[in-house]
Amino acid sequence: MTELSKARYRPGSSRFLRFLSYLLLIITSVLILLPIVITFLYSFFPVKEMTGYLKLRNNYSNEQWMDILLSPSIVSLRQYYSLMIEKPIYLKLFVNSAIYTVSVIIGQALIIPALAYSLSCFRFRGRDTLFFGVLMLMLLPFQVTMAPSVLIMRTLGLMDTIWAIILPMLVSPFYVFLVRQYMVTIPRDMLEAGLMDGAGTVRTFFHIVLPISKPILGAACALSFADTWNLVEQPLIYLSNSRDLMPLSVMFNALSTEEAGVAFAGAALYILPALLLYTYFQEDILLGIQLSDMK
Amino acid sequence: MTDGSVDNNFVGIQNYQKVWENEVFRLGLRNSLELSLICAPLIFVLSFVLALMLRSLGRASLPFRNILLMPYLVPTAALLIVWMLIFDYGGPINRILALFGVDRVLWLESEYLRVPVVLLYVWKNVGFSIVIFSAALESVPDELYEFARLEGASAYKMATKITLPLILPTAFLVFVLAWVNAFKIFKEVYFIGGAYPNESVYTLQHFMNNKFSKLDYQDVTTAAYSFAVIVLVLFGVLYAQKGVRGHD
Repeated sequence: MTELSKARYRPGSSRFLRFLSYLLLIITSVLILLPIVITFLYSFFPVKEMTGYLKLRNNYSNEQWMDILLSPSIVSLRQYYSLMIEKPIYLKLFVNSAIYTVSVIIGQALIIPALAYSLSCFRFRGRDTLFFGVLMLMLLPFQVTMAPSVLIMRTLGLMDTIWAIILPMLVSPFYVFLVRQYMVTIPRDMLEAGLMDGAGTVRTFFHIVLPISKPILGAACALSFADTWNLVEQPLIYLSNSRDLMPLSVMFNALSTEEAGVAFAGAALYILPALLLYTYFQEDILLGIQLSDMK
Repeated sequence: MTDGSVDNNFVGIQNYQKVWENEVFRLGLRNSLELSLICAPLIFVLSFVLALMLRSLGRASLPFRNILLMPYLVPTAALLIVWMLIFDYGGPINRILALFGVDRVLWLESEYLRVPVVLLYVWKNVGFSIVIFSAALESVPDELYEFARLEGASAYKMATKITLPLILPTAFLVFVLAWVNAFKIFKEVYFIGGAYPNESVYTLQHFMNNKFSKLDYQDVTTAAYSFAVIVLVLFGVLYAQKGVRGHD
């Protein structure tokens, strides 16, 4: 973030505009953080209090309001205890989510940089057509490619197994696009210098391209995590007959109606890994996109 | 392009006629289009304005940047319960409305369901557009602004006469991404409304999912091709003006 640190003239840096920007940004940030904060706050309420509170929902009498709860009658970890010890189904679904996410990210890490490398640093016939294909796939929703993928999965006998989720996600076009747009900005001289010194295509890839691409690879990891952690469409189709393979993201709907008392702790636990990963990768995301050829 | 029978007879464009005449398909298509036309401009304008503000703060903007991008990583599935609470009939949003003397709104069961859906979508996705915009803004040379200031241009003039033209390619990319992604909106609707939500948010994706669970493959593939053609046309026209850059 060295560019940001340079003191220099910026548009709109008159006092009043700066103040206005501050104010609006603070308001926006509060609005953005609010749902997350509420989730964590409510996860420390006692189960009974929460269950009772959520029963007040869907009450259509015009006299009654829901209270706005700000602090629990007693700070309690009961929700977490109940989720993790008393209800193994929750933990099972959580582990499912984790399995999908970890395997997808590892698989993508093996495949996508190489794909992006070939699409950005080489010239061959049909490259631009291929890239256009990647772009198109990126823009189409899952439902469009759903029917053919299901037919393929069925032929391979992979329906209702975890592979039906993992395999198609390994070549997600969005990340090919993202990494490729970054690799395009690597100066050609650098690659040629590598060749001059006797490094082959493979060595150039490992010793020049990959180290330079570190920020975007971090960014891609984080974004891909977010995608897989929030998986909905694929399990609904591929796992329709095997509910115990479902990731947690699909089951939240059911969970929050059945076990309202612990829903907030469940949500908080589910958000937590995402937040941790985000704090770890946030600079990569900002830097990676800033340096890539997205603009 | 075949009928669903054992012989797989070729039926030409009959399937397309059937699907395009289907009321539900039309409803889904219209809703997908309308939702995307609400979400995309909202995200586009919001992220542009916020990116400009971030830039004007210089170094102090870093914490805001981090916060604004945060929702992109947070699973919306987990936020469902908070959203249901906020938009409940007796919940905080209706309280605020009541403060201004407006009648309460049935957010979750009526055609107003669009509001929570769109807000959830914007909440999650605005950060990513901001990051792309910010990256472009950083690459605009500062000398241009100094010139403009010496000439006595106002902040608004600078934004429209210098910043906007220079980052036009980025703005284009952000808009296309925002639009096409909003056209794909499904998760948010599914979380809040389930597989058969209120008519106002029943998207094309619902149509395809539901047809699929009824094993009506003809309709699914036909709808899929229609969808693909629509996106291809939308994007192809926009794309033709830009072209891909690469190592040549």
